Amino acid sequence: MKILRAIVRLMIRHATVVLLLAVLLSFSLLSPKFLVSSNLVNILIQSSSLAILAIGMTFVLLTAGIDLSVGSAMFVVGVVSGKLVISGLSLWWAIPLALAVGMLFGLVNAFFIVRLRIIPFIVTLATFYAGRGLGLLISETRAINLPESFLQIGSSRLLGIPMPVLILLVVLLLAHFVLSGTQFGRQVYAIGHNSDKARKAGIPVDRILIGVYLICGLCAAIGRLVALAQLGAVSPTFGYQNEFMAIAAAVLGGTSLFGGKGNILPGTLVGALLIQAIQNGLVVINADPYLYPVVTGMVIFLIVMIDSLRHKSAQKALRTKTAA
Amino acid sequence: MKSKTDSEALKHNPEAGSSNKLIGNLLRNPENTIVYVCLFYYLVMAFIAPGFFTVNNSWNILFNLMPLMIVAVGQTFVMLGAGIDLSVTSVVAMASIIGGYLLSDMTALVEPVWLRMVMGLGAMVLAGGLIGFLNGLAVTRLGMPAFMVTLTTMILFSGTAIWLTRSQNLYLLPENFVNLTYSSLLFVPYPLLIGLIVISAAWFLLNKTLFGEWLLASGMNSKTAYLSGVPVSKTLVKAYVLSGCCAAVASILYTARLETGSPVMGQHILLDVIGAVVIGGTSLFGGVGKIHWTVVGAVFMTLLDNSLNLLGLSYFLIMIVKGLVILLAALLNLMQVRKLT
Repeated sequence: MKILRAIVRLMIRHATVVLLLAVLLSFSLLSPKFLVSSNLVNILIQSSSLAILAIGMTFVLLTAGIDLSVGSAMFVVGVVSGKLVISGLSLWWAIPLALAVGMLFGLVNAFFIVRLRIIPFIVTLATFYAGRGLGLLISETRAINLPESFLQIGSSRLLGIPMPVLILLVVLLLAHFVLSGTQFGRQVYAIGHNSDKARKAGIPVDRILIGVYLICGLCAAIGRLVALAQLGAVSPTFGYQNEFMAIAAAVLGGTSLFGGKGNILPGTLVGALLIQAIQNGLVVINADPYLYPVVTGMVIFLIVMIDSLRHKSAQKALRTKTAA
Repeated sequence: MKSKTDSEALKHNPEAGSSNKLIGNLLRNPENTIVYVCLFYYLVMAFIAPGFFTVNNSWNILFNLMPLMIVAVGQTFVMLGAGIDLSVTSVVAMASIIGGYLLSDMTALVEPVWLRMVMGLGAMVLAGGLIGFLNGLAVTRLGMPAFMVTLTTMILFSGTAIWLTRSQNLYLLPENFVNLTYSSLLFVPYPLLIGLIVISAAWFLLNKTLFGEWLLASGMNSKTAYLSGVPVSKTLVKAYVLSGCCAAVASILYTARLETGSPVMGQHILLDVIGAVVIGGTSLFGGVGKIHWTVVGAVFMTLLDNSLNLLGLSYFLIMIVKGLVILLAALLNLMQVRKLT
């Protein structure tokens, strides 16, 4: 009895992980082709781009900000790097330049948010429009096909680990370390909890916020390159609505939209895997393609619902405890 | 010092004093900045954009404005309650295909056309209200974050609309319905009439009813509102229902104008809607905002789109400029507010 209760408590605490397992289990019951190692590796590879994007978004959300422009930033990065590679620039120059473009996006956002004190929602809404327009302008609204060398990176392996997964791992560990092991990370949480108090306590709020938006831009650029190396082409709708998926992944992983609460490992990673597992599973079981968004929407809704109910019951338990 | 000069001015000429003060207040009031930005922009465009300052284009602006404004007014209620409704685009799509199905001559469900019209339009608004109700319940009863709830209902219902119709449009809508855009009552075109009714109803609800007061209180601080006896949950659910209904009414206008029920109707208006509300000055954090601010915000967004199109800018340049102008408007608004505080 005691063990059972402990298990239930553990399951409630790690509800998102349990839900991920539940999703994996139900798809494996529906199709024998789902829960095989090659497909699981596939899910990892497919989710790497979204996960990296969501990691950057987590930083921003932790400071109670939001970045709607990541999808557009991704698009511009894709277009710029594609153009550079096609014009004959070697990859070793194109990649750092693409990363710089992503960080520039973050810097522009940070400038308006920190120096001019416009709320992040408006700033990033504006850069969302401007970025998409800029990308379309540079690409002349045509799709850009990338040379083979780019695709080879996407399918190459290092020590048996596929390149996209390896990049995800590096970003994940670095981000986790920065957030949980450094002063910067602790200050990010402090700002998210209460930025006025953080300022009074002597935390350099402005500098931290600039750092956070730079990280988000950088992650958008890395995520984009990873996706590019798999797709091999930049279409005009590239990265469209990715900002919403990134936010969804972070929130599914337990990050609060009001700042100060959440983590990258396991939170955001599990969130991204969950979204990708659902989409992959629907393909594997041969579901009607028209149903993909319907099912994805319903499952995310269910998960967020379970998560909020969990918070609610935890709060109630706390209240009765203090009352008694 | 200032009050002294004012009172002296009053002594000499009370009438001029009060009117001067009124104009001064109007000019200095930060909430009017966006109005001046709009006027200034309108004047500049009247000179430089070919065909902007014509009767035809003015009607065009008005017809483009109405649906956007109606959705934004609904969104204002939700934002006043410290929420956000991303699902409005899916409401527009769902209402459009439901209306298209019920109204179309292809299905011809009910014989007299007027009955079909009543049924179809009723069902559209009902569908919007139901989706809003679902959002509201999830936010208040289950304590889910509004952003996530409405994001998932957006994905869910726009997916459903496309799934139900297999991305086919529904044609052959009855004449009376299609003519809605072009016919008028007492020289007022129906879209304008509907827009005016929605604004006045929204203004009345927000300023003259207990619901309005409760909504502002809940948005300002839901905990203190709850402790003071405000039925916070019920109030917020009503706000979401209103937002859904408004989006459905906008869908009626869109569907009538395009003469088709389309499952991707309104797919791109989301950020325009939110932009209109926020540029108008309504706070994303709840409790602060007015209906006429949103109307001005919607006017601004519509002017921007229309004029940039007339200037012959390409689609992507329009997007860049739109982004920059939104930033500029937010900045001007902010500078005014800061000067005063």
